[in-house]
Amino acid sequence: MILKPPPIVLACLLAALLVPTALLIGLLSGSSGWGWPTGDILWLIRVPRVLAAFGTGAALALSGALIQLVTRNPLGDPHVLGVTSGASVGALLALLLLPTGFWFGPEIGASLGALAAMTLVFTLAWRSMGRGLSPSAQPGTVVVLLVGVMVGAACGAAVSFMLAVANDAQLRNIVFWLLGDLNGASLWWPVWVAVAIAFAMSWPRARELDWLARGDAWAWTLGVPVARRRRVAILSACIATGVAVATAGSIGFVGLVAPHVVRLTGLRAARLLLPFSALFGGVFLVLADTVARTIIAPAQLPVGVISASVGVPLFLMLLLRRRA
Amino acid sequence: MKGLSLRLENIALRAGAKTEGRLLCSGLNMTMNPGERWVLLGPNGAGKSTLLMTIAGLIQPDAGSIVLDERALTAWQSEALAQTRAWCPQFWLDPFPVSAWETTACAIIATRQELEAARVEEIAREWLREFDASHLADTDVRTLSGGERQRVALATACAQDAPLLLLDEPTSHLDWSHQAVLQRLLKRWSQEGGTVLTAVHDLNLAWTLATHALLLDGQGGAKWGTREEVLTVDALAAAYGVPVNIIEDGGARWFRIDLEGAA
Repeated sequence: MILKPPPIVLACLLAALLVPTALLIGLLSGSSGWGWPTGDILWLIRVPRVLAAFGTGAALALSGALIQLVTRNPLGDPHVLGVTSGASVGALLALLLLPTGFWFGPEIGASLGALAAMTLVFTLAWRSMGRGLSPSAQPGTVVVLLVGVMVGAACGAAVSFMLAVANDAQLRNIVFWLLGDLNGASLWWPVWVAVAIAFAMSWPRARELDWLARGDAWAWTLGVPVARRRRVAILSACIATGVAVATAGSIGFVGLVAPHVVRLTGLRAARLLLPFSALFGGVFLVLADTVARTIIAPAQLPVGVISASVGVPLFLMLLLRRRA
Repeated sequence: MKGLSLRLENIALRAGAKTEGRLLCSGLNMTMNPGERWVLLGPNGAGKSTLLMTIAGLIQPDAGSIVLDERALTAWQSEALAQTRAWCPQFWLDPFPVSAWETTACAIIATRQELEAARVEEIAREWLREFDASHLADTDVRTLSGGERQRVALATACAQDAPLLLLDEPTSHLDWSHQAVLQRLLKRWSQEGGTVLTAVHDLNLAWTLATHALLLDGQGGAKWGTREEVLTVDALAAAYGVPVNIIEDGGARWFRIDLEGAA
């Protein structure tokens, strides 16, 4: 298959066009239909929500791209690190144990849960993240993924337990949290800060992540400090995912698919892949959230429902389309 | 090209680079000089790949030290090392789409960061042409055949522009004509002052390719020296465990496993 050079100019133009358009559509549409909302609705409801959606989508997509690169696994996605599940446990604990309306209870719980899961994964897989160079040792990246999946499974059991003991009112909150919902996103800026940090940590060395993805031992012979790059990339992915989950719950699909969609357009190199994945994820989630809160207005759907039901066919279409 | 010598001092290797691993070889004491082409021979599992990875610096030897250009390998900066030795592994796994020339370009960017992008692409395409792969330059490496992928990998190793080439079974997927291409390029490489160490299985190829040979017998023993000294009936039969016939033809030697004799 012949690969064309990346359409950088076109991609920049599209991004410059799509990002404001998506934000505008998000701002203009509401449960009462189209139109420019009044000041309070605009500034207190629409703007924070649209910004939270964009930041969350960008964070998940950026994490997905990073994890796919450093684990050399096209199925990599932010959730495989167990951070999402850890955040869910923390958030649900807060929902169950703290009085209703406690100051940012679920958000703080989710942050702590994500931090705990991240610490656990790093402690258990620290040595393996530096490995993968020796011929006989199990590739370090497999260990990281397995540790992440195991931490996730343990957290999943804890979530099931909490679902079983929760009362009806709590259950409703919990389910919305688990499905991923921007309705409760009251703070929009932490996720933007997290994206900025993750991006600043990973992008300057993006080229080396490309080499790492071709082979870790080979990248090492090219002078790349493989262990450090891998740890930094996974740490930035954990930070971005953790804050994204604390903002909007566990939203699936964006992190896995955004990097693949961007790759299919020809933006393959990591220094293009990372920013454009983030932009695509942001735009995608803003639009998905807009649909989620307007399609059966005044009721709202969790954004995870829309992101999966639009995204899965879109992705399959891109993947399976015949190339000339 | 700046020639440099590679010295192995009392090297011992164990399988898996673990202290409890099976002993692969011990007491390797040898020097490889600029302009020499070494072939690394031995039965499956004898430690050829392990030795190449040890010399590349990827794994530590069980004992002894490796001296590259009069400096212990452990004292080298990784960037300087990247400009000094290139390692071409036996297996490649490409999880994401990338074109052949972009793969080759990685090695150029890693060692010559001052070059501008257009020049990097030019050099990458030149090396692909050397390996008869210029028509594959824009192809996704994941869709290449085994031999095509191997040629891209070899072009990448050469493009790194490091005088010491460490090639792990570079001919395993190559057809005859491309084996000849590789031989011609490696000879030119050594004539320009480079050093080549390559693991091979084909004894006839080893003979025509090499000036020197290192034979691991798979039981901890090793024999090294000029190709005439190492590629002998006794040494080969002992290492591989099957009778080997050698047909002398002028200065050349042809090797044939004596299958009837083995049965």
